[in-house]
Amino acid sequence: MKRLRRFGELILALLREIGDENAYQRHLDAHGRTHSGAEWRRFSEERMRAKYARAKCC
Amino acid sequence: MKLLGTLLWIAIAGVAAFCLGGIAINRGEHISSLWLVLAAACTYAIGYRFYAKFVAARVMGLNDKRATPAERLRNGHDFEPTNKWIIFGHHFAAIAGPGPLVGPVLAAQFGYLPGTLWIVIGAVLGGAVQDFMILFASMRRDGKSLGEMAREEIGKVGGFAALFTVLIIMVILLAVVGLVVVNALKGSPWGTFTIVATMPVALLMGFYLRYWRPGKVLECSVIGFILVMASIFGGQYVSQSASLAPVFTWSAMTLAVGIIVYGFTASALPVWMLLAPRDYLSTFVKLGVVLLLGLGVIFVRPELQLPALTRFVDGTGPVFAGKVFPFCFITIACGAISGFHALISSGTTPKMIAKESNALPVGYGSMLLESFVAIMAMVAACVLQPGVYFAVNSPAGVVGASPAAAAAKISSWGYAVTAPQMAALAKEVGEQTLFYRTGGAPSLALGMAHIFAQSGGGQAVIGFWYHFAIMFEALFILTILDAGTRVGRFMLQDLLRHFNEPLGRTSWMPGVIITSAAVVAGWGYFLIQGVRDPLGGINSLWPLFGIANQLLAAIALSVGTTILIKMHGAKFMWITCTPLAWLVIVTFSAAWQKIFSPLPAIGFLAQAERLQTGPQTAATATLIFNARLDAAICGLLMVLVAVILADSLRVWYGILRGTSDARVTEAPFVLSQLRAEEL
Repeated sequence: MKRLRRFGELILALLREIGDENAYQRHLDAHGRTHSGAEWRRFSEERMRAKYARAKCC
Repeated sequence: MKLLGTLLWIAIAGVAAFCLGGIAINRGEHISSLWLVLAAACTYAIGYRFYAKFVAARVMGLNDKRATPAERLRNGHDFEPTNKWIIFGHHFAAIAGPGPLVGPVLAAQFGYLPGTLWIVIGAVLGGAVQDFMILFASMRRDGKSLGEMAREEIGKVGGFAALFTVLIIMVILLAVVGLVVVNALKGSPWGTFTIVATMPVALLMGFYLRYWRPGKVLECSVIGFILVMASIFGGQYVSQSASLAPVFTWSAMTLAVGIIVYGFTASALPVWMLLAPRDYLSTFVKLGVVLLLGLGVIFVRPELQLPALTRFVDGTGPVFAGKVFPFCFITIACGAISGFHALISSGTTPKMIAKESNALPVGYGSMLLESFVAIMAMVAACVLQPGVYFAVNSPAGVVGASPAAAAAKISSWGYAVTAPQMAALAKEVGEQTLFYRTGGAPSLALGMAHIFAQSGGGQAVIGFWYHFAIMFEALFILTILDAGTRVGRFMLQDLLRHFNEPLGRTSWMPGVIITSAAVVAGWGYFLIQGVRDPLGGINSLWPLFGIANQLLAAIALSVGTTILIKMHGAKFMWITCTPLAWLVIVTFSAAWQKIFSPLPAIGFLAQAERLQTGPQTAATATLIFNARLDAAICGLLMVLVAVILADSLRVWYGILRGTSDARVTEAPFVLSQLRAEEL
C-alpha cells in the first residue's frame, strides 16, 4: 500500500512537472513570493519564452 | 543471489534470441504481436544492463560525487536537481512526437521484419547511445546545446552546419506533419469537426489558466480533456447531420490552406492563448495514449496480418518507392535513431539531472521507451489486413483513381481487398472512404482502434476509437506546427537582425508578422507541393525529412566521437563511430538515390525529366520545379554533412597524431553536496 501511494505521488509529481506547476512552486520559493494571478502570469511568460524558443521534437 | 541474477539474465537473453529468431525465420503464418513485444523488451533489458552500463561506467565514468550543473548552477528556473523518474518522464514526453508513430507505419510496407529489427537494434546500439552520449556531454559542459558543443569540439563550420541543418529539418518536418494531418482529415467531417473544435477548447483553456484559475495547469487540462472528448462525440453528430456534414467536408487543398492560415495565426498569437494550454493537454494525452496502447497490445495480443516480408522489399512499394536498403532506415528515424533527440538531450534535460548516474535511465532509458512506442506503432499497422493497409496508404496516382481500380490493383499484388470491404470498413469508423489516406496516421488510427475495440466495447465503439486516435495525432501535430513556426521565426529574426535591426526585435509586430509569414511560406510551399503531388507527397517529403533527421544524428555522433577521442584516444571511438558509419552509408545512399536514381518514382531528377517529356502545362512546370528543388535540398544536406564529417575527421586525425588540441572542455570537478532528501 505504501509503495502504491509512493508510486501515485511520483506520477502526480511527474504530471505537475510536465504542467510546470512544480517549476512555478520553485519560482515562488526561490523569490520568496506568494501565489497570485499576476505572479503566475509573470512566471509563465518567462517560462514560455524560454520553452518555445526551442523546437519540439519530431 | 549472484548466481540467481546470472541465471535470470541468461534467461532474458535466451528469450530475446528466441523471439528475434522466431520473427526472423517465420514465414507464411500469422504470428502473435507478443513475439515482437517480448523480442524488443528483452533486447532492451540486455542492452541497458550490459552495454549502457558498460558505457556509463567504463567510458563516461559517471561519478555521483561530481556536482551536476543542476546543483552547481541551481537557480530555481532552468537549473534544478530533479527526481530521476520525473526527469525521465519529462524527457520522454519531450522526445516522443509523431515520428515513432508514423515512420514504422510507413515502413510496414516492407513487412514487419525489417522495421522491427531496425527499431530494436538501431535503438540499442545507435539511438539510445546518441541520446545518452549527448546528454552526458552537455551535462559535463554546463548544459550546452548541440550547436555550441559542435562549435567547441569540431569547429565553427560544424556549429554553423548544425544550425542550418536544423532549420531545413524544421521546414520539411512542419510540411510533412501538416501533410499527415491533411490526409487524415480530407473528406472527413467527423475528424475535421473534432480538430476544429480543439481550437476554441485550447483558447478557453488559455483564458482559464491566465485569468480565472492561474497556475492550475492539471485542473485546466482535465477540463480541456473532457471538452475534447465531447468534441469527438460532437464530430459523430456532425458527420451524421445532412446539413452540417458538408460544412466540415473539406478537400485536401482546403485543409492545407486552412493549416497554413492556422500556423501563421497561431504563431503570431501570444503563447499563453493557444500554444501553451494545448501543449500541456497534448503532452498528457500523448503519455496516456502510449500507456493505453502498450496495455492494449499486451492485453489483446493481436495477430499480425502483414507478412514478415512483402514483395515491396524490391523497391516497387506503393507507400513510398525505394528498396528496403536504404529506405527502411531513413523512413524509421525517431523509433531507432533521431538527430532531433540530440537537441532535447542538450536542452532542458541536462540542466535538471541531479546525479550523473541518472543520465543512464534518462538518456538511454527514455530512448528505449520511445523505441518501444515505435514497436507498438508497427504492431498497430501490421494487425490490419495487408489489402486494407495498402488501400489506405497507397496514393491514387499509383493504384488508380476509383475504388474498384485501386482494389483490383492491390489484389493483383497478392493482397486481396475489395471496394465493398473498404466501404464497409469506412462506414464502421464513420468515414466516407478510407482509400488514398496516405501519411500513416489513418492506418495507425485504424490499427489502434482495432486494438482498443478488442480491449473493450467491440466493433460498436471502433468509430469512436478511430477518431480518438486521429484527434490524439492531430492534437500534437498542430502543437508542433505552431511551436516549430515560432522557433523558425526566432531563428530567422536572429539572422535578419544583422541586416535590419527592427526585423530582429521579437517585440516589433511588423517584424513578427513578416518573419512568421516567411517561415509559414517555407513549410506551406512544401505542404502544397505534397498535396499536389500525384504520388501523394509522402513519397517525396518523408524520405527528405528522414534523410535530414538522420544527417543531424550524424552530426551529433560526430560530436560524440570527438569527445570520446579526447577522453580515451581511439580506444572507445567505435561506440559512436559504428552507428555513425552506418548512418553515413544509409543516408548518403538514400540521398544519392533520391537525387540520381533513373527511376522516376525514386529519383527527383528522373521525375523532372519524365515530366518534361509529357504535355507542358503550368501545373507540370510547377511539378518539375518542385522535383528539382527537392533534389537541390537533398544535395545541400549531403554537402553540409560531408563538410562536417571532413572537419571531424581532420580534428580526430590531429588529436590521434598529437598535433591538435586534445583537451576535454568539461566544467571543472566540484564535489556534490546534494543530499538524498533534496530530491
